[in-house]
Amino acid sequence: MALKALDIYKLLPKKNCKECGDPTCLTFAMKLAGGKADVELCPYLDEAAKSVLGATTRPPIRLVRLGIGERSFAIGEEVVLYRHEKTFYHQPGILFKIADTISPDEISAITTRVRDEFFTRVGADLRFNGIAIENASGSVDQFARAVEMVEKVADLPLVLMSADPTAMAAALTHCGTYRPLIHTATSENRKEFCTLAKQHGCPLVVRAKTIDELAQLTRDCTADGVQDLLLDLSPESLEAFIVRSTAVRQLAITRAAPDLGYPVFLDAAVMDLQDAGIVMGIAKYASVIVTSPLSPVASKTALTLRQNIYTDPQKPIQMNPGLYRVGNPGKDAPVLMTVNFSLTFFTLQGYLESTRLPCFMLIVDTEGLSVLTAVAAGKLSEMLVKDSIKKFAVEDEVSHRKLIIPGYASPLSGRIEEATGWKVMVGPRDAAEIGEYLHEEWKK
Amino acid sequence: MGFVLNFGWSGTITEVTLGATKADGGTRRLSYRIGGGKTLPFLEKTPGTSAPLIAFEICDNPQYWSPIVRDYCGDVINNSGEWAHAADTVYGADLVRLYLTSTRQRDFSDIASVGKTVETVLSRTSLPLIIEGSNEPKIDSEVFLKCGESGQGERMLLGTAEAARYRSIAAAAMAYNHSVIAQSPIDVNLAKQLNILLKEIGLARDHIIIDPYTGSLGYGFEYSYSAMERIRFSALKGDADLAMPIICSPVDTLTVKEVREAEPAIQDDIAVQWEFTTGLAAATAGAEIICVRHPRTIPLLRKAFGSLNSGNMAGKGA
Repeated sequence: MALKALDIYKLLPKKNCKECGDPTCLTFAMKLAGGKADVELCPYLDEAAKSVLGATTRPPIRLVRLGIGERSFAIGEEVVLYRHEKTFYHQPGILFKIADTISPDEISAITTRVRDEFFTRVGADLRFNGIAIENASGSVDQFARAVEMVEKVADLPLVLMSADPTAMAAALTHCGTYRPLIHTATSENRKEFCTLAKQHGCPLVVRAKTIDELAQLTRDCTADGVQDLLLDLSPESLEAFIVRSTAVRQLAITRAAPDLGYPVFLDAAVMDLQDAGIVMGIAKYASVIVTSPLSPVASKTALTLRQNIYTDPQKPIQMNPGLYRVGNPGKDAPVLMTVNFSLTFFTLQGYLESTRLPCFMLIVDTEGLSVLTAVAAGKLSEMLVKDSIKKFAVEDEVSHRKLIIPGYASPLSGRIEEATGWKVMVGPRDAAEIGEYLHEEWKK
Repeated sequence: MGFVLNFGWSGTITEVTLGATKADGGTRRLSYRIGGGKTLPFLEKTPGTSAPLIAFEICDNPQYWSPIVRDYCGDVINNSGEWAHAADTVYGADLVRLYLTSTRQRDFSDIASVGKTVETVLSRTSLPLIIEGSNEPKIDSEVFLKCGESGQGERMLLGTAEAARYRSIAAAAMAYNHSVIAQSPIDVNLAKQLNILLKEIGLARDHIIIDPYTGSLGYGFEYSYSAMERIRFSALKGDADLAMPIICSPVDTLTVKEVREAEPAIQDDIAVQWEFTTGLAAATAGAEIICVRHPRTIPLLRKAFGSLNSGNMAGKGA
């Protein structure tokens, strides 16, 4: 059972030496209790205390890092089943899978794409994370050559996929120092793969059909000294994946099965329905997802869904209504009215900030509905706008009487003019066009 | 050794019947019983648990519809009876959801035409129906009563009740034994509140479907996803006022920038991919009716739901 912070504190040296990185032993104890720190960080703990604390304070799902350098990423250390219970911390890496049988030019093209391609959404650059190379040829040399080819093009996190220890050893001579993920150890080849993982300090995927076998494999691997493990649930259908992945997550976070406390690996490329597999992997606890290179169409939905599921749900959906400032707006600055749905607010605010034109945002209370919904539902009305202008004393802030409203609120423009006496200007429907709009319309 | 997975759930999702066959006093060729879940979506091991249902959305005045769908479906969209027939026989939907967009015209007053449209659609498809009535409180009462009456005995699903306007739709549903979609703006507490309001005026729990509102992928979907999970979670924890099946309509995906401004050559592909991704993710969060507007989304969702119910494909028609 999990210990409380004070129980943990009693076992600590109480020196407040700060060597663990925390200011006091008590704050370190609180982190341990929350599964946010490693007991090994304390240099003064005796073995007895360590063994008591180790089992109950280490994060219920191990943090594992793939790759080195700028593009390396960490996975694991998740603590909840539902994102709304807290949040999901480490988004899954999505890696493009290539066979070692394709031409060097193709290898180079796909690697270059993963290295360079990104989409910008809501202020974040979304990228794929690396390359998985599969030993489809069965040839040791060809596998090693393909890995070498990828390495030549980019320093990306890699997954090396082969069941053959000789091929794996050959590939690791090219990239073993860059923390590639080794896939995959099964009950047949576990010994050889553990030796390779230990020798190169690489994380290792273990694969089995049942969670009992997986737990046995992780026990054997840790006994052999390999701690950074991932679980391949070997799902034969989407149902098998969701059932096993949910079971692993639940058993791990409740510490009912510490041997399952490792991130989950999903090869969506071997599933009949790859796109559906990716959706399932993102929503249901996969931490590394391997897929064939995605079309531009499928790329955006995958990356957008990942961004959605891994945003922090603790941020409120509604903004407080009021008059918000972008920059230092003066008496002649434009006033833009919109709804208090937080996504609308942040999207518009982002685009307004990038225009560098100081302005006011008049946020009216539509109970968190978007513009489109608020108009359709009658939540956004001329009376609401009139009352908001009065309530937030907008007339004291600016000398003009011009209000820019969202494009989707255009049906209300006449009624707002009548009710408020302000001149209404209908802005664009899409916040992305607000910069151009202000440039062309406001300056007139 | 065997691990025992125990979430400690105590609640069950209320079962709701959609559509009435001849035996039940209707004319539908099948009816569905959804709900009944006792754990997380797709973890159900009870035989007879059904895959989520796929509803195809049509309307009776396509000027309000996405141009992408209008172009793809062609002339059939100008005749809601034929469009419903295509949804059933060509697109392969489980349900048809008819939006009476004709009522959105300024000063609409031809209530009789609403009844005729519903009757036509009922005659051109024998699938269970979902009917979306007016958007205008002034004509709500007449429109919903006319819908209810025209589909009497068919056990339809009527939409959409909201906190500020639920009385006329509930009245029509109770008078003619239909069920109601209760929509709240992405908030578990507001969803519960509306269900209680509906209960207080006499609508039975097994006549309510929750619509927590589906924001598009990339534009608020994360909130909808969590709202759905929270509703399911509360229901399984024993809150009967939230223990109703969930409907998801990712219609906003057709208007997001990525879809609207796509290259014409791949615009259909993109629309389908966004609708599919949003609908499938919503199903994992607990939605049991997934609505779509692009016909090509249906087979994709169908295959995915098949693979999600690979061990138990029973229970499609109750």
